[in-house]
Amino acid sequence: MSAPHIDTPTIPSAAPGIPLAKDALLALVRERIEVEPDPSDRWDLTVVVASGRLRDLMRFLRDDPRLRMDVLLDIAGVDYLAFPGHRDARFAVVYLLKSLAFNHRIKVKVRVEEEALEIPSIHDCWKIADWMERECWDQLGIVFKGHPNLKRLLNHHQFVGHPLRKDYPCQKRQKLTVNDPMVDQLQLRLRQLGYTVLSEGEIHAPAVRGGTPGEVVGTGDKGMQDPDLTTGTQVGDMKRSVL
Amino acid sequence: MKVLTPKGEQLELLTVNMGPSHPATHGTLRVFCALDGETIVASMCEMGYLHRGFEKMVEQGTYTMVLPYTDRLNYCSAMMNNIGFCKAVEKMFAVTVPERCVVLRVILCELSRIIDHLVCVGANLVDLGALTNFWYFFNPREAVYKIWEKLCGARLTNTVTRIGGFYRDTYPGFEDDVRAVLVQIEGAIKDVRGLIEHNKIFLDRTRDVCVVSKEDAISWGWTGPCLRASGVDHDIRKQEPYYGYDTYAWDTVIGTKGDTYDRIMIRIFEMLESISITRQALDRLKPGPINTNDARLTLPDRNRVYHDMEALINSFKLIYEGVRPPPGECYDATEAANGELGFFIVSDGGTNPYRIKARPPCLTQFAAFGPMTEGTMIADAFGTLGSINIIAGELDR
Repeated sequence: MSAPHIDTPTIPSAAPGIPLAKDALLALVRERIEVEPDPSDRWDLTVVVASGRLRDLMRFLRDDPRLRMDVLLDIAGVDYLAFPGHRDARFAVVYLLKSLAFNHRIKVKVRVEEEALEIPSIHDCWKIADWMERECWDQLGIVFKGHPNLKRLLNHHQFVGHPLRKDYPCQKRQKLTVNDPMVDQLQLRLRQLGYTVLSEGEIHAPAVRGGTPGEVVGTGDKGMQDPDLTTGTQVGDMKRSVL
Repeated sequence: MKVLTPKGEQLELLTVNMGPSHPATHGTLRVFCALDGETIVASMCEMGYLHRGFEKMVEQGTYTMVLPYTDRLNYCSAMMNNIGFCKAVEKMFAVTVPERCVVLRVILCELSRIIDHLVCVGANLVDLGALTNFWYFFNPREAVYKIWEKLCGARLTNTVTRIGGFYRDTYPGFEDDVRAVLVQIEGAIKDVRGLIEHNKIFLDRTRDVCVVSKEDAISWGWTGPCLRASGVDHDIRKQEPYYGYDTYAWDTVIGTKGDTYDRIMIRIFEMLESISITRQALDRLKPGPINTNDARLTLPDRNRVYHDMEALINSFKLIYEGVRPPPGECYDATEAANGELGFFIVSDGGTNPYRIKARPPCLTQFAAFGPMTEGTMIADAFGTLGSINIIAGELDR
């Protein structure tokens, strides 16, 4: 099914504060970008878009004066592996958007095949997309192409696998033995701000005992300072994927 | 760490690791920053220290079993999470809850909002060195917890709502208790305002500190009091009214600058609005059923269960299997104390939720914390951390 061709826009532009109805929203989006409404959303509007058009669609939704979906509320990944009767791609990423001016909402869904776990990043469209994409990658393993710092957000850096996948066992625990020194993160941030890092110095952790880069630093527990420690330590034990 | 500044000067930066168990972080957050003197040059945040896999755990049980987990998201206002989740599932069923339930939910939501703001502002002022306000605010908070105790037996994690209504109706004298506590809260707010509003230390440490512009707040996906502090007139209770919030007389409180001062003051004035809403709701609270009579959601009357086969089956099915929302994907949001609390629910028509994605309001605020504190003094950064009210339970899920 292709988008209906609209010669003259039939949708009256909404006055500020008046949300557009579901059908009007869909028609407006279809003027510019080919999308399909998702029948599984029986309550509000979800549009399914090809991953190649995602960035165009998101920019259009954000900037069009009749839509002005200026807030990216959340990015939710879904694994349909165990969904009864599901035939489409295994994964989907759902972007939740809302307009502050008109109070209407839209969900944008991108289907992601298991064989090609990659969709374009929108970190440059909204500042918050950076962390939300990191969480989605952490939890489901979907790669956001072009993301500057695709690191885990909720799980620790030694974590293997992606817990919200349906084939990840619920009871599986993973221990953290060495904390993330985060020196690379800080250097990345400094470079983003226009600084050039000449040399690494000592790292101070006022809340805990100090350490040096390469060793474990600033974890809040002296047990973590021991580089020979190989057994699971208690710090970071709270930071596990699944209870 | 030796660096070259964008201007080409050589500078020795001190790298400091704050947290995860630092008293000023009010939880387990890690901030790793590079300092020039006492000024933060660059800062990166790490979260996840309280991650328990909320979204994985809720897939293992029924929809009713999700409720106790939602308490532990924002544990400072647990009831609002219960109500937010129930409202999302009720939207999937397309059921409306009875009038008494709606009004009671409004009262509990607003009281929860007040105690959440009391904790946030009280603790924030402690970060700035003003300890007395903490005691002034924690006394009425304790009084609200006494009401919670009488209402459902629990103080912090209440699990008071059920999908389609409530666990049980209020106790005799509930209205009087609430009215009394509202007066107490008003008194506390008056006391605290008297202590801070003309206090030079407070004003110097909050005014023009960590200013977040309207555009930045929107781009960071901020919602709730922090977004309003930056001057955006947006409150789901006004803009997409639910539970009849549009029929109460109250105002949205909006800031002008988006600095720490605005973020603190907004919460104080929002409490006054919440007090007004609660009083109006108490006037509307009439006796009546508190649960919907939809057999898919509500347990049948006990007398009928013992004498009627269908009611017995209904009761068993609801206890063993729980509710079964129609298959599909649904998102619903409420205005929680911290901002938009949303639940994106994927149902396969079965008894367990297929996937629930919680949208915690403070994640977006914590994501902005690193960049927004760059260029400020380290002591002011922690005053700011209090003002964006990070609740680790909801941040890390």
